[in-house]
Amino acid sequence: MSGGLTFEGVTKRFARRDGEAATALDAVTLAVEAQTFVALIGPSGCGKTTALRVANGLIAPDAGRVMVGGAAPRPGPEMGFVFQEFRLMPWATVLANVEFALEPLPFSRLERRDRARHYLALVGLERAAGSYPGQLSGGMKQRVALARALATEPGVLLMDEPFASLDAQTRELMQGELLQIWAARKPTVLFVTHSVDEALMLADSVVLMGQGRVLEHLDVDLPRPRNLAATRSNARFIALRDHLWARIRDLVLSDPKSAFFGREVCA
Amino acid sequence: MLKVPDRLVVSAHPTSVSVTAVAVVRAGFLVFILALWWVASANLARNILPSPLTTLETAVHLLYGGVLQRATLQSIAVYLSGFGLAIAFAIPLGVAMGAFRPLGKTLEVYVYALAATPRVAFIPLIIVILGLGSEAKVFIVFLGAAMPILINTYAGVRQADGNLIEMARSVGASGPRIFARIILPGAVPYVIAGLRLGATIGLINTVVAELYTAVQGLGGLLAIYGNSFRMAEYFVVVLTLAAIGVVVTEGLRVLELRLGRWRV
Repeated sequence: MSGGLTFEGVTKRFARRDGEAATALDAVTLAVEAQTFVALIGPSGCGKTTALRVANGLIAPDAGRVMVGGAAPRPGPEMGFVFQEFRLMPWATVLANVEFALEPLPFSRLERRDRARHYLALVGLERAAGSYPGQLSGGMKQRVALARALATEPGVLLMDEPFASLDAQTRELMQGELLQIWAARKPTVLFVTHSVDEALMLADSVVLMGQGRVLEHLDVDLPRPRNLAATRSNARFIALRDHLWARIRDLVLSDPKSAFFGREVCA
Repeated sequence: MLKVPDRLVVSAHPTSVSVTAVAVVRAGFLVFILALWWVASANLARNILPSPLTTLETAVHLLYGGVLQRATLQSIAVYLSGFGLAIAFAIPLGVAMGAFRPLGKTLEVYVYALAATPRVAFIPLIIVILGLGSEAKVFIVFLGAAMPILINTYAGVRQADGNLIEMARSVGASGPRIFARIILPGAVPYVIAGLRLGATIGLINTVVAELYTAVQGLGGLLAIYGNSFRMAEYFVVVLTLAAIGVVVTEGLRVLELRLGRWRV
């Protein structure tokens, strides 16, 4: 059931406040094979998040088309979306938050509850089922959001900088958990991140974007299962990271809209 | 599966004061007010300010005669009818205005204009149309209480969390479900704030209505005793009104706490 995901010449423009159109996606063509983990990386404002929203069918492209498992994308249980800011309903318990994603599916109340509990257990939060999001730490909240996205057992998982607001240690632990979970069911994953390390650590391939265009689609030929220590000292990892980091730095320094435009930065 | 820390809940108010300490301080403050009252009554010319003890005796006397109970029941009947009507009218209308943009855009100017007009200005008109009986009184309460409830409900629905709505859409929730599960719960704190404001204005308008239309209820007693300088009786009525105000706002606070259990 896990379908591949393709962008065919997808263009998306937004009206800016000054009235001009900003191009978020500029003829993006990209193929994500079924059951692979692809990271989207690039400077802020390069269209990564827009790509996810178009892939989910939340917004329609102005030109081109997106296909998910051979059909036009439609928001719903077939796709899971994990947002950077968690987006949990603060007035609902952890369990109710996970169940919310299951409501469009034809489950009985009991089945729904069981399924939600199962996925909470998977992310290690079965004992927090009755808590409210406000009682949880950032890492726990994001695990709830992850459980919510996984609970419908989607073929495609869209993740928008899911770990960006977590502290460094929590972030690394969450990366490990995500890899384990992914390896068990292998949904197709499109993962947006700012972090070169995170992209290389997790993904089968990394797509570098800049100003709404795909600049490079790079295979990450690192052995799996990966673990932080071993992978980070792998020579191939280091080479890939240096390459990607250099390209991103050039993108940022050559962008007139960037705060670093034209500056000499040693990085 | 994965390991969990023992302490799941990152809780406890850092600033929470013990309930008994608050009760003790509150009681102490009451004693202070009573002492102040007593000193004032002893030093002002006679009959302007009755002493606490005189007031208590008068209260007992009024209760024996049944005057106070009758007036209180009359006032409460007017108050609750008007406030209840205001809730039944303002919450659905506020929700509708928030949910249907054209309706909200059309009506909001008039709602704000009406809310800014001192409602007391309408009393002569109301008397002309509805007379001096309880319909007029209930309507005056309704008019005062409905506005803050309406405006707050409308604002609460309008300010719905766009991120949560997008999450719900992504999950595949239908429009009505998004409305019921995301937008309405998000508006609840606003609605309750509106209810609290409406409750206070409603009580004020109850007294105003009883003063301006057929003199009855606690407002009526206020007028009678005030005009005949029966200050002890007058004070009993004022304290009764204050007690009603405390009961209503405390009731709404309990409702707020119950609905806001998630706010830890």
